[in-house]
Amino acid sequence: MTERVSGNMNVAGPQTRIVFEEVSKFYGEVLGVNRVNLSIPPGITSLVGPNGSGKTTLMNLMTGLVRPSRGRISVLGMAPDDPERLFRVVGYCTQFDSFPRGLTGYDFIYSYLRLFGYPHAQSSEMAVRAIDRVSLADAAGRKIAGYSKGMRQRIKLAQAICHNPTVLVLDEPLNGLDPLIRAETIALFRTLAAEGLHLIISSHVLHEVDVISDQVVLLSNGYVVAEGKIQGVRDEIQEHPMQVLIRCDKPGELASQVFHEDYVVEARIHNDRQGVLVKTRDADRFYLLLNRIAQNGIEIESVAPADDDVLSVYEYLIGTEESTK
Amino acid sequence: MAVHKRSYRSYAGKLTPTWSRFSIITRYALKNLFSSRLLTAYFVCCFFYPLGCAVVLYLNHNLSLLATLNIRQVFAVDADFFLSFLGVQSGFAFVLTAIVGPGLVSPDLANNALPLYLCRPFSRAEYVVGKMAILAGLLSLITWVPGLILFAIESSLAGGGWMWANLGLAWGIFIGSAIEVLVFSLLSLAISAWIKRKLAAGAALLGVFFFGAGLAQAINAVLDTKNGYLVDIGNLLTTVEGSLFGHGKPVGISPESAWIALIAACVFCVALLERKVRAYEVVAG
Amino acid sequence: MNEPRWALWRAQLRAIIRLETKKTLFSRRGIWIYFLAFAPVLIFLFHSLYLMKTGQAGDIAEETHIFAGVFQLFFLRLAIFFGCVGIFMNLFRGEVLDKSLHYYFLAPVRRPVLLAGKFISGLLAASAIFGTSVLLQFAVVYWHFDSNTRQEYFLHGHGLAHLAAYLGVTLLACLGYGAVFLAAGVMFRNPLLPTAAVLVWEAINAILPAALQRISVIFYLKSLCPVLIPTEVSLDQGNPLGFIAMNPSPASTLTAIFGLLALSLVAIAFSSRQLRRMEIDYGAE
Repeated sequence: MTERVSGNMNVAGPQTRIVFEEVSKFYGEVLGVNRVNLSIPPGITSLVGPNGSGKTTLMNLMTGLVRPSRGRISVLGMAPDDPERLFRVVGYCTQFDSFPRGLTGYDFIYSYLRLFGYPHAQSSEMAVRAIDRVSLADAAGRKIAGYSKGMRQRIKLAQAICHNPTVLVLDEPLNGLDPLIRAETIALFRTLAAEGLHLIISSHVLHEVDVISDQVVLLSNGYVVAEGKIQGVRDEIQEHPMQVLIRCDKPGELASQVFHEDYVVEARIHNDRQGVLVKTRDADRFYLLLNRIAQNGIEIESVAPADDDVLSVYEYLIGTEESTK
Repeated sequence: MAVHKRSYRSYAGKLTPTWSRFSIITRYALKNLFSSRLLTAYFVCCFFYPLGCAVVLYLNHNLSLLATLNIRQVFAVDADFFLSFLGVQSGFAFVLTAIVGPGLVSPDLANNALPLYLCRPFSRAEYVVGKMAILAGLLSLITWVPGLILFAIESSLAGGGWMWANLGLAWGIFIGSAIEVLVFSLLSLAISAWIKRKLAAGAALLGVFFFGAGLAQAINAVLDTKNGYLVDIGNLLTTVEGSLFGHGKPVGISPESAWIALIAACVFCVALLERKVRAYEVVAG
Repeated sequence: MNEPRWALWRAQLRAIIRLETKKTLFSRRGIWIYFLAFAPVLIFLFHSLYLMKTGQAGDIAEETHIFAGVFQLFFLRLAIFFGCVGIFMNLFRGEVLDKSLHYYFLAPVRRPVLLAGKFISGLLAASAIFGTSVLLQFAVVYWHFDSNTRQEYFLHGHGLAHLAAYLGVTLLACLGYGAVFLAAGVMFRNPLLPTAAVLVWEAINAILPAALQRISVIFYLKSLCPVLIPTEVSLDQGNPLGFIAMNPSPASTLTAIFGLLALSLVAIAFSSRQLRRMEIDYGAE
């Protein structure tokens, strides 16, 4: 059974959160997710995990595309099987790279908005606005079947945001996007999160997850392995000492000084001989030690955690599980 | 990028003969098909009637049974017998085509697999032949193969004289079944190539036969002609098979017209396949 | 509170109908439905042109019976049947195969409203196509008669009443078959098998016991047709479709209409129940 690591998700009422209570989903005998308990606050939450870990299943569950085998789900106080209420506030950009046949980009968004009951003029205006937001105005009149992969990804994104939802669920939204559009899309996500939206994003690009996410949920084999802010999650992983990289002018001396302490497990001179990589079981005491060392003649240029990111947490928690299989 | 040590070597070993490469598609497809219990069970059921006919042929020559019944022969083993046999097996063959045919090319088109096939040293013709061999093989096994086996059984029981006198029947069995196998295979491949959805392809196959038969009747009734049968594939095949056996009930059009119509249908199917089996698809607009 | 809800549902229904009728009526994929619907028009056109060219007068009663035969044996059982298979089965099963159904499920639309919208759009499209075909057939069948004869038949005879009846039967056929195939598309992963089952069931309807005959769309439709098919217009003997030339004992008009409506409602209710539970799992297709 996977030990779960939790790291200080903000406390707020259920009406502002997406809540999973003991949720399991089985596809016949195949496990999708098992006994998931989550409470996702506003902000950008990333779902991270290897292929088949249950990220898409979680997203499909919270949007009602699949039903849980057990448990209860609530999205801002609404049940996922109430589409009339739910999808006024939820937008979902799925992983499926398929579209209704014969429609142009504009028609696709416009007809989707008409399903909301919006009149023609309003639907048209909202469609144009969403298409502009994803920089597809030039191609809006062309059939989606003729779009490139990146364009198809963007039109899906436009469909998810066109009705100004409060919750945005995005399944690998940056797939197929070139670097410029990726940067623009990430900026868009940040803007939306700043406006108070819930953004739930799944991604394999961990350094981007690091940059954009407020909190992460790590999944493996259908179980939630960890959830919370990255630093909080990292703090809780006791079996892997913290790694800190210190850039200084006398790395050898620094290494010999820190190594006396019992909470320092390892001190390694960096290849360029301009720094020391230290592994410590107690980061707070180590930083206090560094302060004392800095006052005793060693010039310290920078101190930065070396494994305080999603990639490291992923490797520690999920990489460990994969290797023990 | 600098390469320090060129350790990569492309494969330099023995290659399989070029002419047999189409059979790779056939082998894998057959393996996939027979993983379905329903299809396997149905395929086995297709042999019950030939088996029954074989038993009946044996009993027909069982002297003690004939003596007990005080008759020379239970029934005559002639053109009508083999024509009826082919008629029954044609029904089984049609259902088998409806089950297997739609899944031949449609899934490859829908899942963009054609570029993967055709980016290898593998031509479109080999692809089509490989796919056709699946159906042709299965249909042959339930039509002319058991038909000729029955002919051989009867020949061995009745003697060489019967065989030489009725050699035309063997010819009729083979050619009649072969044209049927060819038409069914090409038609289902063409439909499967033009309709990306497997289910729609299956419905279209049913539609071509049933709707064609109905349309033929409507044309004949309204226009007071027999030429409506030219659009009824089932009828065309019956006419051709009947003419090969020198028997069969008259169904209105001449065997020559039926042959021409069937050949035209085959050519049309080949043209459709040529148009659709490509490594790329152009989307307008 | 209810008033805004109804207004929303009406707006959503209009949006769905607009989107779906455009897909059905103006898509290249649906061209074959036009062929099914208008093939009889072409046949009757050739017939009328031939009679006009040869100067033959023709007989209105005979033409009426020929039209009745073609309508009941071909148009209803094959053209509308397969047309409705194509239109209604595509509404949900087609979207699943195209992997685009989730867009509807991700909209704030109740699933019963979605079902109603799609069904109504399919019904409108099918009724428009096949209704237009009936009108054109009727016009063309009697085209070669002089205007006095036509006027006499339409204005003082049964012409308009027959036309209204045939249009009504066409509409009810689209409703009945549409509901059945909509249900098949929603309930079954492979709706070809139920389609084939319905085709066979409808074909053998005439020889079933009376109680079982009532569980069939064609039974009620034939009861509503204004002209019984005389045996001389029936299909050739020995034809596999000869089954459908037999006439069962007809139901009364009210029974036929309410029976068909009841059958359609039951099918739609099943579909609604199934759709409410439906999950998006394209990988299983």
